[in-house]
Amino acid sequence: MTSDEMTSGIDTIHQSYLADRRIRRIWKFVILLMTLTFGVWTVDVLNIPIERVLRMFGPLATMVTERLMPPDLYYVMEPLILASILETIEMSVLGVVGGLLIAMPMAWLGAWNVTPNRNFIYPMARAVIVVARAVPTLMWAILLVAIFGFGPFAGTLALLKSTIGFAGKLMAEQVEAIDMERVDAVRATGANEIQVFFYGILPQVKPAWVGISIYSWDSGFRGSTILGFVGAGGMGLYLRAQISVMEYHTAMGLITAVIGLVILSEALSHYLRHKLY
Amino acid sequence: MSDAARVENPLRPGRVILRRYAAYLAATLAVLAMAQQIIVAETDWARMGSAAELLREAAAFLPNLAFMPEVLFPLLETLLMALWGTAMAVALSIPIAYLAAKNISPFYPLAYGFGRGVIVLSRSTHEIIFALLFVSALGLGPLPGILALGCRSVGFMAKTTAEAIENVIPGPIEAIEATGAGPIKVFLFGVVPQVFPIWVGNVIFQLDINLRRASILGLVGAGGIGLMFAEKMQMLEYDKAGSVVLGITAMVIVGEYFSNRIRTRLI
Repeated sequence: MTSDEMTSGIDTIHQSYLADRRIRRIWKFVILLMTLTFGVWTVDVLNIPIERVLRMFGPLATMVTERLMPPDLYYVMEPLILASILETIEMSVLGVVGGLLIAMPMAWLGAWNVTPNRNFIYPMARAVIVVARAVPTLMWAILLVAIFGFGPFAGTLALLKSTIGFAGKLMAEQVEAIDMERVDAVRATGANEIQVFFYGILPQVKPAWVGISIYSWDSGFRGSTILGFVGAGGMGLYLRAQISVMEYHTAMGLITAVIGLVILSEALSHYLRHKLY
Repeated sequence: MSDAARVENPLRPGRVILRRYAAYLAATLAVLAMAQQIIVAETDWARMGSAAELLREAAAFLPNLAFMPEVLFPLLETLLMALWGTAMAVALSIPIAYLAAKNISPFYPLAYGFGRGVIVLSRSTHEIIFALLFVSALGLGPLPGILALGCRSVGFMAKTTAEAIENVIPGPIEAIEATGAGPIKVFLFGVVPQVFPIWVGNVIFQLDINLRRASILGLVGAGGIGLMFAEKMQMLEYDKAGSVVLGITAMVIVGEYFSNRIRTRLI
């Protein structure tokens, strides 16, 4: 190979590199253009006037500095509000405990590796978990309020639903990750499906399930603070009432209380999960 | 019973077992007391009527399939709100993640504390509360909804991104520093490639979650399909409200399916 041929070889490689780069640049440009067009189209569909976006910072700043601050924490200390906070906690505990009692069998029946029947029971259990996750909890709460009337009972049922979806999925994932040899060993002794669950599956997933249960309560408590918005019990009722009569300082006091309680519940759940392992 | 059976298991002294069962008993009693309070004391069972009446009321919500086409446009609106809310959260989360990542945060305790504070506030406030505040400041429409979604999800995005930055392996960074690259190039070629796949996964996950969140914001007037649901409930057209719920459920399930597919392919 002469040095001339080598140079031309390098030249062709260089040429093809340049052509590649040009094509890539064109593609980048086309994608950018498409993204921009899409962005403009979405703003058009959503019907958002641009001048409103540009003028929104003033009202937002006034809102935060004048209307929201300082939060009125004395309002939160009123017995009525404290009772509603207690009711919120009770709802969250009841809803989550009830939900876990349904989620645990669903997680077992809906785990592909250990489900007693793959053609019928597995898809049914999966469907329960998937639908429970997909229906928005607040809408579910509205439907329940329409059926069962105002009060914490509807809220408790709504939390039951969200716990089935939340805990059911996580628990089923844990069951699908277990060591099947131990399950087969229990099965080899002639155990029936329920005995297999209690002696082959449950001991393996117990620590994880306990952690998930505590986490579900934490998540359920967050959800329960707003269920009162639709009349399903708890402190959300007062928050909505205060905002709708434009009592922003007391509303902000309630929001501060919610944030404080959520942080507390998260700390408690973190502490319990680490203590139990 | 023989004496051998009475020998205490040294790993489980009777005291510990007793304390454990006492804790179980206390927890059960507490739950029962709450059940008494919520289900018996505060629920008006007489007003609720018989099981047959309850079933008939529930059956009123069975979806009206003829109404489904009208649900499609609000669903599209909801999807676009989720997109914009996620985009806003992503844009805001990058500076906050920079402040909240222990290993790169400037003016260590101050900026780090600020970043963490924003994350905690955003994560512990429900999207409906954000939406109510934005609606009362800016009026009705999808704009306050998008802002609420952005504020709600910026915490998760910033938290996971900060954690990804904290877990970066130092090897590649040192290698790039050894070539004489400045801090910007070290960040671009040492940190970004390690964080990017995790980040993309989280963006898709957050989009999936925001789709659920966007569907209820309309209940407080912040745009999307929740508004249609609220209208149908007020007009007592329960079958149409049922169709709205069916449409949301379908959209969320499809969204979750695609989000899972894409994320498993990425990792």
